[in-house]
Amino acid sequence: MQRTRGTYALILTLTVGLLAFSFITSAGDLGSFGTTLLSGLFLGALYFLVASGLSIIFGLMDILNFAQGAYFMVGAYVTYSLFHLEAFQGIDVNLRFPLGVVVGTIIGGVLGVVLERGLLRPLYARPIFQLVLTFGVAIVFGEGLKAIWGTEGYSWSTVTSFGIHQSQFEIFGRQFGAYRLFVVAVGVVLIVLIGLLLQRTRIGIIIRAGVEDSEMVEALGINVRAVFTMVFTLGCAVAAFGGAIAAPFLGANLGMGNAFLLPGIAVVVLGGLGSYMGTAVGSFMVGLAVAVVARFASEFLNQTVWASITPMLLLILILLLRPSGLFGKESR
Amino acid sequence: MQSTRSLPRWRRVFQSNRLYLAVLMFLVVFPHLVGWITGDSPFGVGGRPRGQSVFWQSVFIEVFILAILTMSYNLIFGFTGVISFGHALFFGLGGYILGLVLQMTDLGPEIGLVIGGVIGVAICGLLGFLMGLVSLRLRGVYFAIFTLAIAEMFFIYIGRWPLTNAEDGFALNNIPELLNSTRNRLTYYYLALVLVVLTFLFIRRLINSPTGKVLLAIRENENRAQAIGYNTLTFKLVAITLAGMMAAGAGMLHVILNKKVGPETLGLTYTVDPLLMTIIGGVGTHAGPLIGTAGLHLSERVFNREFIIGSTTINIGQNWSLILGIVFIVVVLVFPQGVVGTWARWRQRRRAARAPTEGGDV
Amino acid sequence: MADAYNVLEVRGIHTFIGQFHILEGVTVVVPRGSITVLLGRNGAGKTTTLKSIMGLTPPSQGSITLEGQSLVGRRAFTIAQMGVGYVPEHRAIFRDLTVRENLVIAQRKGDDLERRADFIFELFPDLKRFYSLPGGNLSGGQQQMLAVARALVPENRLLLIDEPSEGLAPVIIEHLIEAIRKLAAQTTVLLVEQNFRVASILADRYVIIDDGRSVVSGQMQDLIHDEALVQRYLGVA
Repeated sequence: MQRTRGTYALILTLTVGLLAFSFITSAGDLGSFGTTLLSGLFLGALYFLVASGLSIIFGLMDILNFAQGAYFMVGAYVTYSLFHLEAFQGIDVNLRFPLGVVVGTIIGGVLGVVLERGLLRPLYARPIFQLVLTFGVAIVFGEGLKAIWGTEGYSWSTVTSFGIHQSQFEIFGRQFGAYRLFVVAVGVVLIVLIGLLLQRTRIGIIIRAGVEDSEMVEALGINVRAVFTMVFTLGCAVAAFGGAIAAPFLGANLGMGNAFLLPGIAVVVLGGLGSYMGTAVGSFMVGLAVAVVARFASEFLNQTVWASITPMLLLILILLLRPSGLFGKESR
Repeated sequence: MQSTRSLPRWRRVFQSNRLYLAVLMFLVVFPHLVGWITGDSPFGVGGRPRGQSVFWQSVFIEVFILAILTMSYNLIFGFTGVISFGHALFFGLGGYILGLVLQMTDLGPEIGLVIGGVIGVAICGLLGFLMGLVSLRLRGVYFAIFTLAIAEMFFIYIGRWPLTNAEDGFALNNIPELLNSTRNRLTYYYLALVLVVLTFLFIRRLINSPTGKVLLAIRENENRAQAIGYNTLTFKLVAITLAGMMAAGAGMLHVILNKKVGPETLGLTYTVDPLLMTIIGGVGTHAGPLIGTAGLHLSERVFNREFIIGSTTINIGQNWSLILGIVFIVVVLVFPQGVVGTWARWRQRRRAARAPTEGGDV
Repeated sequence: MADAYNVLEVRGIHTFIGQFHILEGVTVVVPRGSITVLLGRNGAGKTTTLKSIMGLTPPSQGSITLEGQSLVGRRAFTIAQMGVGYVPEHRAIFRDLTVRENLVIAQRKGDDLERRADFIFELFPDLKRFYSLPGGNLSGGQQQMLAVARALVPENRLLLIDEPSEGLAPVIIEHLIEAIRKLAAQTTVLLVEQNFRVASILADRYVIIDDGRSVVSGQMQDLIHDEALVQRYLGVA
């Protein structure tokens, strides 16, 4: 109990500190502060979509899936192509994007089943090889995307379904892209949905129990390997979904995988192994930190490099200072 | 049959290393052999680095450099059981430090090379040492993440560092004439070969020493090694520090060969390649990294052209990394012992099957 | 004749964990309605025997049958579904899950949790009081009760209970003994117990395991009076 209270105090301090820093350095310009905040929340929502699968899979199956970033890319590429390819232009513009998201998510899920069933399942007795294998799979996915789509990145055209990509709203005398707000909203909805799944359903109880002791779950008559497959598939599908909804804003390129994998890992470690709450909170903290540093570095240091290395710096700091994370258990 | 025990020591050493010595002999005469067959001088044609012999020399120099990198990776991954996803850091940083000392100081090529080399190896050793210290608290996958984060951070930062021309990198022209790979490629070939042999012998000696026994014990079960009373951290530190220094050396050879220093040397490729080559060759074996490196790098050279199958043209070179990744996955799933381990097992099984019929001591 | 009489028959099993040969021939027969206890020193292989029956450390040789059906080669979850309940050592409940969730997870298709809950709460009234509390917040004794209760949710044919009294206060041990006796009226129990007193109160039959082998078995009554045997294999009197 004491520790939990300490954790919340820590989270509060860090978040308020970040916001205060950002507010002060924006010198009272609320518009600029608002932009930073929104881009932090936007990144946080996307980080969550990568990290939630990463965290639950890690907690339940002891696999750190280095291919999670690749699934994010797959989602982005598939959605991009479905929206832009000549062959699909006959489909109504308002239908094309949702369709792309659905197809991207499904393809991510299918590739997830393939990876878990075909490649990881034979290796449960050899965890080191599992780790190395997911690393290899990440490379193969990246190279596969390169073979299909080439090395050049793609940026989204100016239209999107429902015009959501272009629309703006105004606060503090500044224009904000509605799309980023949409992504934040989707992220929050998913946090709630997955949270409900974990808390309220029988499968959720099984997953949480499995995070503690999967052998015991099996001994209670539950086919844990089937649960593994399901969770892995869902985790990959959610990451692909993240890429899909990020595509109108970020486009599709080969750097996306690592750009979201490492922050995702940072979130998982920050949140604490297998802690869903930690992942949700950690996503937005890492997102905010990256946004605040990015803004500060570009405004005052005239350098963008700091924003790019912030996730790694955070990850290193967390590992050095508090490897058990915010909500992690000391004993693990 | 004569027992090897009764032979003098040098002959015993010779006997048990026959295969290695044969390969070494081949590599020593190789440039001249190619020169003799193709008629292109191993020293180049008309004072310029042209011709088949020179071309194959550079291919093999690359193999030698990668072999040193892979052997150093095998020392920590294969023999000590520590997974690092940040080995490229040492490779790239070694090259950068040497390059900076050579290009940005007035020490002159010879002194600059010595000083830059020493500083580079020392800094990478120190970095390895510091990262090794962290392995006390962070084990397994956590250490892997940690090393990946550090390496990626350096990769991104140096890739945008104005001092080293960001992503373009900088040219290295202030090098001693003797090591100028345009004019003296054959010298460079032999230098790299000597360094491969030295690295190989050093690691083999280390693994067969009492220290090596502890490293292997850590790989099998770190907690047990600790329980027996070894200070496992010290031994892990030794392995990681040495591996960092060797990788730095390999990185220096790389930049001198290419006369260019660039951020790609810090990229994931130089972490992934040694990892793949170690596993494909055989994790935790002495010959594995050599076979893995030579096999993969040479086949890349051989297949790096267009193949026409029916009406479709396939450029394997373009998709080389994809093929490599798929090969890697297959190896991990089907032959986790790699080429060397699988071969040794197959021979053992064959021997075991033959033993009862032919009788014991043959 | 033996098949109908014995719920569980374990014959000559060998089990490896990694490269270690832990069980080198264990035979255990558990008659219907009995409480059979496995005795032996620390590290003798008692827990591994239970895990081998459960399919968690599958044996490499030997046979295990539950009312005539072979358990060898089946996965743990199938064995559990066939009617084997498992209460592991160290009170391995799910600490982050509430008492209710700990019981729900053990529920299988067709189980009526409400009806079983009445029976469980009668045995362990504390669990009813802390129904919505996380398992980790319970006391050691309550956690052990929850671990036993979890195995009672489905109507199992056989319960495997590993060291229920370990690390518990005497009063709580008495309570547990009482509860195990009551539940044994409904199912057959195979128990591992280091506390000889507890074992002698509860068990009808015993099997002594020494160094990975089952060495002696018989009626508990006889063992209590055979001090030499107790001294030799258990080192206690």
